[in-house]
Amino acid sequence: MGQWLERRLSAPPTTPATAARGPRPLAVAILVAVIAGAGAMPLFTSAYVLQLATDILTFAALAYGWNIISGCTGYLSFGQVSFFGIGAYATSVLVLRAGVPWYLAALIAAAFSGVVAALLGTVMLRLRGIMFALGMLGLARILVVVASDWNYIGAAGGLTLPAELTPIAVYLAMWVTVVGAFALNYFVLHSGWGLSVTGVRDEETAASAIGVPTARIKTAAFIMSALAPAAVGGLVAWNRSFIDPPSAFDPTLDLQVIVFALFGGIGTLWGPALGTLVLVIVGEQFWAYLPDLQLALYGVLVIAVVLAFPGGVVGIANRFGWLRRRPVLAPTTLPSVSRPPQPAPLGDETIIEVRDLTVRFGGLVALNGVSLSVRRGEMVSIIGANGAGKTTLFNAITGFVKPSEGGVFYQGKSVSDIPSYQRARQGIARTFQIPRLMESMTVWENTLLAARYGKRGGDAVEQAAWALHTVKLDALWLEPPSKLSPGQQRRLEMARALALDPTVILLDEVMAGMTRDEQGEIRAVLRHFRELGVAAVAGVEHVISAIADISDRMIVLDRGKKIAEGKPDAVLRDPLVIESYLGKVS
Amino acid sequence: MIVLQLVVNGVLLGGTYILLAQGLNLIFGVMGIVNIAHGAIITLAGLFTYWFVTETHLSPLLLIPPVFIVMLVVGGILQRLLLEPLAKLGRSRELLTLMVTFGLSYVLVETALNFFGSQYVSLPDLQTTWSVAGLAFNEALVAAGALGALISGGLYIWLRYTASGQALLATSQNPVGAVTCGIDVRRMRAIAFALGTALAATAGILLILILPLSAPTADTLTILSFVIVALGGLGDYRGAVMAALLLGLVQSGVGYYLGGDAEVVVPYLLLITFMVVRPQGIGHATR
Amino acid sequence: MLGGNLRVRGGALFAPLIAAAVLFAASAAFAQKPIVVGASISQTGPLAVDASYHLKGIQVGVADANAHGGWLGRKLVLKYYDDQSNPGTGVRLYTRLITEDKVDLLIGPYSSGISQAVAPLINKYERATPMPGASLPAIFSAGNKWAFQLLPPATGYAEGTLPMAKAMGAHKVAILQAQLSFTLACGRARLDQAKALGMDVVYSTTYAMPPPDFSSIALAIKSANPDAVVVCSYYPDAVGLAQALHRIGYAPRFFAETIGPAEKQFNSAIGPIANRIMSNTSWWPSLKTHGNAAFIASYKKMFNEEPDYHAAGTYAAVQVLGAAVKATKSLDQTKLRGWLATHEVETVQGTFKSSPTGLSLKFGQYMFQIQGDKRVLVWPTAVAQGKPEVPYTGQ
Repeated sequence: MGQWLERRLSAPPTTPATAARGPRPLAVAILVAVIAGAGAMPLFTSAYVLQLATDILTFAALAYGWNIISGCTGYLSFGQVSFFGIGAYATSVLVLRAGVPWYLAALIAAAFSGVVAALLGTVMLRLRGIMFALGMLGLARILVVVASDWNYIGAAGGLTLPAELTPIAVYLAMWVTVVGAFALNYFVLHSGWGLSVTGVRDEETAASAIGVPTARIKTAAFIMSALAPAAVGGLVAWNRSFIDPPSAFDPTLDLQVIVFALFGGIGTLWGPALGTLVLVIVGEQFWAYLPDLQLALYGVLVIAVVLAFPGGVVGIANRFGWLRRRPVLAPTTLPSVSRPPQPAPLGDETIIEVRDLTVRFGGLVALNGVSLSVRRGEMVSIIGANGAGKTTLFNAITGFVKPSEGGVFYQGKSVSDIPSYQRARQGIARTFQIPRLMESMTVWENTLLAARYGKRGGDAVEQAAWALHTVKLDALWLEPPSKLSPGQQRRLEMARALALDPTVILLDEVMAGMTRDEQGEIRAVLRHFRELGVAAVAGVEHVISAIADISDRMIVLDRGKKIAEGKPDAVLRDPLVIESYLGKVS
Repeated sequence: MIVLQLVVNGVLLGGTYILLAQGLNLIFGVMGIVNIAHGAIITLAGLFTYWFVTETHLSPLLLIPPVFIVMLVVGGILQRLLLEPLAKLGRSRELLTLMVTFGLSYVLVETALNFFGSQYVSLPDLQTTWSVAGLAFNEALVAAGALGALISGGLYIWLRYTASGQALLATSQNPVGAVTCGIDVRRMRAIAFALGTALAATAGILLILILPLSAPTADTLTILSFVIVALGGLGDYRGAVMAALLLGLVQSGVGYYLGGDAEVVVPYLLLITFMVVRPQGIGHATR
Repeated sequence: MLGGNLRVRGGALFAPLIAAAVLFAASAAFAQKPIVVGASISQTGPLAVDASYHLKGIQVGVADANAHGGWLGRKLVLKYYDDQSNPGTGVRLYTRLITEDKVDLLIGPYSSGISQAVAPLINKYERATPMPGASLPAIFSAGNKWAFQLLPPATGYAEGTLPMAKAMGAHKVAILQAQLSFTLACGRARLDQAKALGMDVVYSTTYAMPPPDFSSIALAIKSANPDAVVVCSYYPDAVGLAQALHRIGYAPRFFAETIGPAEKQFNSAIGPIANRIMSNTSWWPSLKTHGNAAFIASYKKMFNEEPDYHAAGTYAAVQVLGAAVKATKSLDQTKLRGWLATHEVETVQGTFKSSPTGLSLKFGQYMFQIQGDKRVLVWPTAVAQGKPEVPYTGQ
């Protein structure tokens, strides 16, 4: 069962082989027709159907808002209703106390909600997934109490708005909101900027290592997810001419929105709309016969979707080739390298220097006063038995671990205050011991994301194409990482590092799991790193035979200390080094 | 004198909270998953107890052993059916198990609604109040606290000093390592969930004697339990005890000096404060 | 807020069935179109239990009206849908009733929350509508012309409590209220009333719902040592506070809570602690209000149980509508509205009289006390069934 699930989840979400750029013309035509038709609907229907349609649109907008933070960014939120309520209250206050027209008030309320999300995000987004979900849930509760006590907004009695019958205008405003929320989702799922969001969702740490400013991206996504619910809240408050704490922060709203989005396909472009439409229409017919089981049926539906088709309706459609996501900014065919990169200038300055670096984890001393440097033009291998502290060293250099003592210097300047994503952007690239590739993106997109944050500043598409050519992954450019062999995955990690146009690359056991041929290809790349524009390379390795002859220098770590340094031949014959690997021979 | 009574109240309240939270803590500690159906299980058990006592006029405490055993079985089955299929997944496991337990909670709440209706119910059992040194101790609260302490102590001893408990701890700390030690992690997961739900159901039996429960407000208990577990450091048993006591004492004091509105907000404010200042919670768990 | 599923309950089957049975019993062939009365009822969701009595009252009212020949020579038919205890769904359903089903008359939904959501609609579409689920004065304030309150207003809801307490010698009083609009309005009115009566408010607090643990609040009450504790509560808080006071061994001489003690399961919930708790109500079976005995008899016959104040309220709504229809001899909304705004109607719940904005002015307020396993009407003395027992001892 588990394997079956794993296969479902790894079903390609994107159209393989050929990739046309931009949306399909037929889809655009359908979209325009739907928008126009829905907009014209008020002319043909009764007040009741209009109200029903308005309610459907309300849910669709909420589902799209939720989708951005929970689906696209991976921060499951059980409290988006907080923004709904904030929007409802802000709109009502503006209408009542400032005489602002309601549609304008809803817009301002949405902007205000975005500001609140920005502030909230500084606290909430630092938390890991479960705590964030829980925190958002608690937030809604707190807001009910606050609103019930705050006289300016009516306290527990709520606010009553002027009773004007404007169902058509509300419907149209709601429609505009849905379109806007849809557009935001489209932006997140199809733009270059949006790739960063997906990257954060899939592998937040790796995203940081390729230059993505994860905190800012998350906050931006959070802000985006707050706009639609707030606008919707304002429109609903106006439509009902009334708002009070329980109705503003009603938790069942969250439940329904989650069910709809999940059913439709979480994190997809069409999922929220499809889910809302199908469930509402189906629900209308089906559950009339089973009213006492409504909640239970929702629950069963959620469970069934998760266990049987976690991709939702869109996931099912994908299996038939429909509604597949197009890879972002993918050219029709991968351009061949048009211009070679500038070779790295010569010199012998120190690129990376580590001085008296000590890293402690509780009682464990992972690195103990280690000093080493990597100079321009060098390839340095760092070896050592397990537990020597090699990966910790890399983590400290790239900013994923804070040194307890000592410092890290890049091109002469201390980087201790520079966050990891900025170190990446300034030219320190790394690969991971266990590949951390963004699984829901193609090989192309993984590389493109890094290229967007590269130093070069030129065309990211060209840079990404070049990187893929260099590691010889161009044939597989539209495959998802799950389809790659372990060796190919490591090559993708390398491509990502290269796409950053780095000054120095830190390779963490890149040779592991590779066939002889694959090792050969990587060695070929490493031999010519200067021509690729890279100033220096440092590699942590266990497969010593693969790197000994191409390294200029070798450093050996043993239990957190540097025990040898020098030319590879000499180091490998050093009795201390042998002892650290094999133990003392008495 | 008032202060002493406030302290007593706070400790007794904390005891109730421990009872609420340990089942959830166990599930999270071992499986790293969040059981959103926790409050629904407690409520369902409480409502069932109400029905049982009203029909048979027997003591609710009689229900504890059978309910515990039945829930062990039911919990195990639920885990195998609904959660085990997700255990192999990587990154999406957390999100998807959240969803499944989310769905499960609604199934349970609807069941409760259909069998027991939507209104609040409570039982007038164990209502004696003893006066010791001028301080009031209520029977139901003491029983709840005693049971909570028993559960926490039992868990602690079991996890530390028995082979099966250590196996469970090992699974929580390092599933892969546990497998290489020959531990059947699948069984461990099933045991953890079964035990967690059984503890939750047991909590419900006593809780109905302490405060009114209703099907629609089941999720309030879930949130409260989470707050306690999160405050204590997710998965840390001793931390949860400390958090429960801290929460009880703070609520007791705040309720007295600042009134009912402030008291309600205390759990969430405490949680947010800790999230910002010390996200790993009160306990010392390194998870 | 918004209905999870927007489906319509097929409950419309039931009402015509009952109406049809009555028709046959009356054995008169009526070729005329029936008068359709529409409403939305919370048949599912948290309000379902209480709303079921709300519905039963309407059904008895309609059945009784038909048994007397209907209105304007036409039979009544009830059309209702399930709003799932959800204001948003209620709004949609009333839109449907008004614009699609085009019902002749409307009755408001259960609970202030849904009434508050529906009231603007009533005004927008200009339908004269009695609202037996709405106690909030805010609904019936300036700007409201078409909704009529069929309950005593929240502010007056417990107005007998403090005078009674004072009459029994209470000077120091503690007043608590739940943080919801109805109980807040009630509580604020009590605070003002206490001042007016010259009583000393020694402790007062609000608490959010769902209610917190009451032990520290109970302790604070004990420290303040009031003679009377008056709580504007719902059900779980009424239970919780009574238990909390008992747990610290404190019993105020006079203990009154709203709503909770009126629920049937209050006694079984807390047992002997409930003895001598006072509470308030808008209706009592022993009252000699207009049509009360007949109402109780019809209700018992139809549903095999005693009616409660919810049912009485909706029955009164039907009575009020009937009076207006018969007096104006029409179903014209403007005429009905004009009549309702200017006339009084005697109902099972007392005298209906509306302010210009629809606020009810004359519905009665009564107090009862739990005495052992009985509930006894104790105030006003003119209609009391028995004497109040003091002090409250908590056993």
